[in-house]
Amino acid sequence: MKAFATPAALILAALAYFVPSVAGGAPVAYAACTTIAILAVMAYGADLILSYLGEVSLGHTIFWAAGGYAASMLAVNAGWNGWQTAAAAIAISLILAAVLGLVTLRTREFVFSLVTYAAAVVAMEVAFNWSFLGGSDGIVGVPPLELTLFGRGITGSANADLWPIAWVLLMLTLLFVERFRRSRLGTSALMVQMNPDLAQALGVDARAVRFLVFVTSAPISALAGWLYAYQRAYVGPDMFESYFLVLMLTAIVVVGRRLLLGPLIGTALIIMQQTFFSIGGDGDKIILGTVLAAILLLWPRGLIGLWDVLKRLRASARSTTAPAPRQ
Amino acid sequence: MTLAQQLINGLVLGSGYALIAIGWTVLLGAARLVNFAHGQLYMLGAFIAWAAMTKLGVNYFVAVPIAVLALGLLGVLLQGMMLRLVMQQNLTSLMIVTLGFGYVFQGGAARTFGGDPERFISPLQNANIRFGEIWFTWQDVLTLVCTLVLFGALWLVLNRTRLGALVRSVAEDPKLAQLFGIDAARVYIGVFVFECAAVALAAGLVAPRSPILASMGFDEVILTFVVVVLGGIGSVGGSLLAGLGLGMFTALFGALVSPAYTTAAAFLVLLVVLAARPRGLRAR
Repeated sequence: MKAFATPAALILAALAYFVPSVAGGAPVAYAACTTIAILAVMAYGADLILSYLGEVSLGHTIFWAAGGYAASMLAVNAGWNGWQTAAAAIAISLILAAVLGLVTLRTREFVFSLVTYAAAVVAMEVAFNWSFLGGSDGIVGVPPLELTLFGRGITGSANADLWPIAWVLLMLTLLFVERFRRSRLGTSALMVQMNPDLAQALGVDARAVRFLVFVTSAPISALAGWLYAYQRAYVGPDMFESYFLVLMLTAIVVVGRRLLLGPLIGTALIIMQQTFFSIGGDGDKIILGTVLAAILLLWPRGLIGLWDVLKRLRASARSTTAPAPRQ
Repeated sequence: MTLAQQLINGLVLGSGYALIAIGWTVLLGAARLVNFAHGQLYMLGAFIAWAAMTKLGVNYFVAVPIAVLALGLLGVLLQGMMLRLVMQQNLTSLMIVTLGFGYVFQGGAARTFGGDPERFISPLQNANIRFGEIWFTWQDVLTLVCTLVLFGALWLVLNRTRLGALVRSVAEDPKLAQLFGIDAARVYIGVFVFECAAVALAAGLVAPRSPILASMGFDEVILTFVVVVLGGIGSVGGSLLAGLGLGMFTALFGALVSPAYTTAAAFLVLLVVLAARPRGLRAR
């Protein structure tokens, strides 16, 4: 059963490719699916930190915005194509993450969270005031995304054109995260989080692990920001808004941490609520904040915790004599 | 403007920073809890006082205590909900929960009070005092006096009373304190209520300086985080010094270098200090 869980999850995610066309192929369906894919990829960046290091990074909006700014500035000012801007987004986010990772190398818990938050505030102030980055107006008129390989490819700015790219980006992210979970770095990160003393006894350098995971996570959020710039044809200091931060964290915790599809399902639930069942911007804030707080207060393991409750109930109903086996 | 005026401005700003930070300092020191809703609590304090003045028609000196009382009650409610996580010291979840609370307050305040900037006016804000070229308002004097009195009283309570000993013992080792029959849950609720009430008082005194907005939140008070960390987590005297120092720094940096980048500059100082001394200047 366990052995099939990961391939099944990946196949399920792959089938999501057909959701917009099955849903009628209306522009709003493509828009919602593209947005969900982009924001889910953004959340996977923060997920590596929260789920595997057990720290709360409030600085991932920096990488998200860095990807968006890299794409729009290079596409607008230098006419770079999609591959080039994507490479630049990755490179810039790696540099920023390395700097921030070094600064926060020795910080833990709330100091880590607050310093990453402070870095995001500084970055927003810089983006808001520096005319090189477009200042408070941001950068407008991002050209259609141009991605060609061997003469074939996609050029487009409509959501129906961007959806295949967003889907590919999402699948690559899922494969990457899946690979990361099984990698030496991923398992070391979990060990550092769960039992730092054991990790140290086994010769794992906790600081190196934390630094590497932090740097690894940055390009994921940056590539999401890269595609977001093309989707909106505009970037601005609003990419630093706490909306994206709260969205990332809620998407990660709502279904359950350390689940491969968790952030994707979480993002889908949130964006569907905001797209199809919105009660106004302020009302949606109340819903998002309430969901985030209520999940952690009531079911700290996420909605998946409800599943366990059901399973236990079923097991105890089936046999009242034998205790339910713990997995 | 003269240097003397800049120093006065620094003192005014700094007493505000210290006053906004004090509740947070105590909470961090005693419960190791970061309240990311701190900024939204500040916003709520300002709006409740404003609503009391404009809707109920009470005067400023009644409205501020109403806001302090209201936020104190809100504090009991919030900490009641978080108590299980606080007792487990599940700090990661708690940080995220308070972020969620802050987001709820922001949306709720925008729905209740509207999304437009409002003018929360203190009668002392326009009462100026002038000495030649130097000037300040009676509101500034009131803020400074309240800050000094509150810090003094807090220091006395924490260091010279039985209540303070309880808080300090829970901060030191909650499990051991409970073995000695100390009700840690009540201490946690107490410090959280103090944080909420103190930030409401700070909002009542500091917020009249500029228009208030439902969307103002953590960014508005994020500078106080510099105060909390630089002053040494949980150190009352340290935060007062750090608050006043930060006020001087931002006043001088804003006047001499660039007003647009003062927050960034303050944080860069913090990042440099933290990279060198991860536990703050007064490392334990």
